[in-house]
Amino acid sequence: MATVLFYILSAIALTATLLCVTRRNPVHAIIYLVHAFFALALLFYVLGAPLVAAWEVIIYAGAIMVLFMFIIMMLELAPSQELQGLVWSRLLPVVLLSLTVLGATFAIIAFDPGGVDGIPVYFATPRDFGYTLFKEYALAVEVVSFQLLFAAVGGYYVGRTDKKKGGRK
Amino acid sequence: MENLVQAALANVNFSAIMPSLVLVCFGMALLLIGVFSRRGRTTHIAWISIIGLVITGIYTYIDWVNPETQFGFAGHVAQDNFAVFFNIIFIAAAGLTILISDDYLKREGYPISEYYALILFSTAGAMWMASGTDLMTIFLGLEVLSISLYVLAGMFRNDVRSNEAGLKYFLLGAFSTGFLLYGVALLYGVAGTTNVADIGMYLSAHKAALGNPMTIAGMVLLSTGFMFKIAIVPFHMWTPDVYQGAPTPITAFMSAGPKAAAIAAFLRILMFGLPELHAEWGAMLWLLAVLTMTVGNFIAISQTNIKRMLAYSSIAHAGYALVGLVAANEVGLSGILYYMLAYTFMNIGAFAVLILAGKQGEENLTLDGFAGFGYKRPFLGVALCVFLFSLMGLPPTAGFAGKFYVFAGAVKAGYIWLAIIGVLNSAVSLYYYLRVMVYMYFREPTEDYSWISMPVGAVISIVIALFGVLYLGLLPDCVMEMAKMSIF
Repeated sequence: MATVLFYILSAIALTATLLCVTRRNPVHAIIYLVHAFFALALLFYVLGAPLVAAWEVIIYAGAIMVLFMFIIMMLELAPSQELQGLVWSRLLPVVLLSLTVLGATFAIIAFDPGGVDGIPVYFATPRDFGYTLFKEYALAVEVVSFQLLFAAVGGYYVGRTDKKKGGRK
Repeated sequence: MENLVQAALANVNFSAIMPSLVLVCFGMALLLIGVFSRRGRTTHIAWISIIGLVITGIYTYIDWVNPETQFGFAGHVAQDNFAVFFNIIFIAAAGLTILISDDYLKREGYPISEYYALILFSTAGAMWMASGTDLMTIFLGLEVLSISLYVLAGMFRNDVRSNEAGLKYFLLGAFSTGFLLYGVALLYGVAGTTNVADIGMYLSAHKAALGNPMTIAGMVLLSTGFMFKIAIVPFHMWTPDVYQGAPTPITAFMSAGPKAAAIAAFLRILMFGLPELHAEWGAMLWLLAVLTMTVGNFIAISQTNIKRMLAYSSIAHAGYALVGLVAANEVGLSGILYYMLAYTFMNIGAFAVLILAGKQGEENLTLDGFAGFGYKRPFLGVALCVFLFSLMGLPPTAGFAGKFYVFAGAVKAGYIWLAIIGVLNSAVSLYYYLRVMVYMYFREPTEDYSWISMPVGAVISIVIALFGVLYLGLLPDCVMEMAKMSIF
């Protein structure tokens, strides 16, 4: 069961990512990327890491995707052509992918609610995780927070508008 | 709750990251000072950052005198002699760069206070790379270093070339980071740890893992990531454009500090983490060293822009450093450390003269622009000659001693042909370095170079670089002893 799901989910993740990088419309690309993230989250669950699976959904499919949407809307990258009717050929891959992801989710919930199939769960509680993070990887946490500061400084400098044309990045 | 905090604090050892900590604190302070300073006034910020570097230097000296290695943060950093030696290189590179920057930035109309903070931040990142004993720390250090450099390369926002440099460096840098991370993930998959020394221990205990394709793939991908940063052929394509487009002091900095940082981390991973695979990476690096030296030198010949020529020559110099890594013996490895220090002085020195020779908005970088320069500006002319002699590798300069040690290491390890190819390449490089001197001394001057002023910072920087080049060249023993103590 878990093995079959693993391959199905990997196939979804790969297909969705491939479709994501080949779309010209950035919003469509994001839809596919969300599919890839959901498939990855389930993959993590099947591999026995429920905490990581939850984060994949919360952080990537949730927060980061919203950020992408924001940027696309701010830059008005989406082609401004008139809205065409929903074309089946364009909808089909999305529908197929999302149905498969949903199907896989239901399969997990229905047949294996405890997550005992497949690799045994090393159930890291958020507490365990935080403990390890700040005990073992304290320096990494600090460096990442420094890094965000530097990136903000850089982003502020590059994005600052002045009299002439500003830089871009 | 209480014991959790205590447990977390038990691993904290700030003295193990003291130099980089000082730099980061100064960087953040500079950001604030920049906000409260009048627009366009940056001289005091430059000097404050120099003070920060001096304090960092004092801490580095304390680390050097202290014979015990400082470990910290659950074995994620180690302030051993190796890290301390590279810290000296980074401090020298950052200090010389800041000294030559102030006047240049004002001349070009970008007196920006963030500039100095970003240089300090990137230097701190370089220090984390050199002292990191965990792939995680090394990777994060690399990112800190790179993100600051992306911005620095694109600092001149109204200059298309600088924009191009920033964007190109950013895209290719992010791309190469992907390779690096993939390699880290694969090695973690094999050994179950990201600690460099533990990976080495695991591989020597489980010989079967050596034949695992995942190990080899991890090693190759990890190397690819670093080679992008060091600009090893065939991963060098970004170098000329980025080096040419970036502000000249940043070009000088990039060719010395970050390159040394990437070499430091690469060296530590190869020698500590993957010594069992020496046959594999030795063969790979042998080929790449030959390619890098040859391609870098031969393309440099056809350049007429001196900045671009120095970019290609820096590719070739990375190849010379790789020769020592292929040898992987005491002489070769300490030779790399020595060579990176020497290269810092000679390359930034050469760039300092180039910066002074330029005018506002029109950097004087063509060969014709240097016609008769040596007679009109004797001090700068002689200084540039010394730096170029050192880049060629002629005695009695630092470049000669550095190349000598690196090639001697290769000969000692039995890589005779590699050493021969290296020496032949040095001979090729004579042509394009000497050509600059020919223009400087054997052409009739078309300009009187009256626009050249001699700002204090740049003169101090050139004098320090001259001293470094000649000291390392004439009395190499003392520093070479230090380098020998610094390797494992």
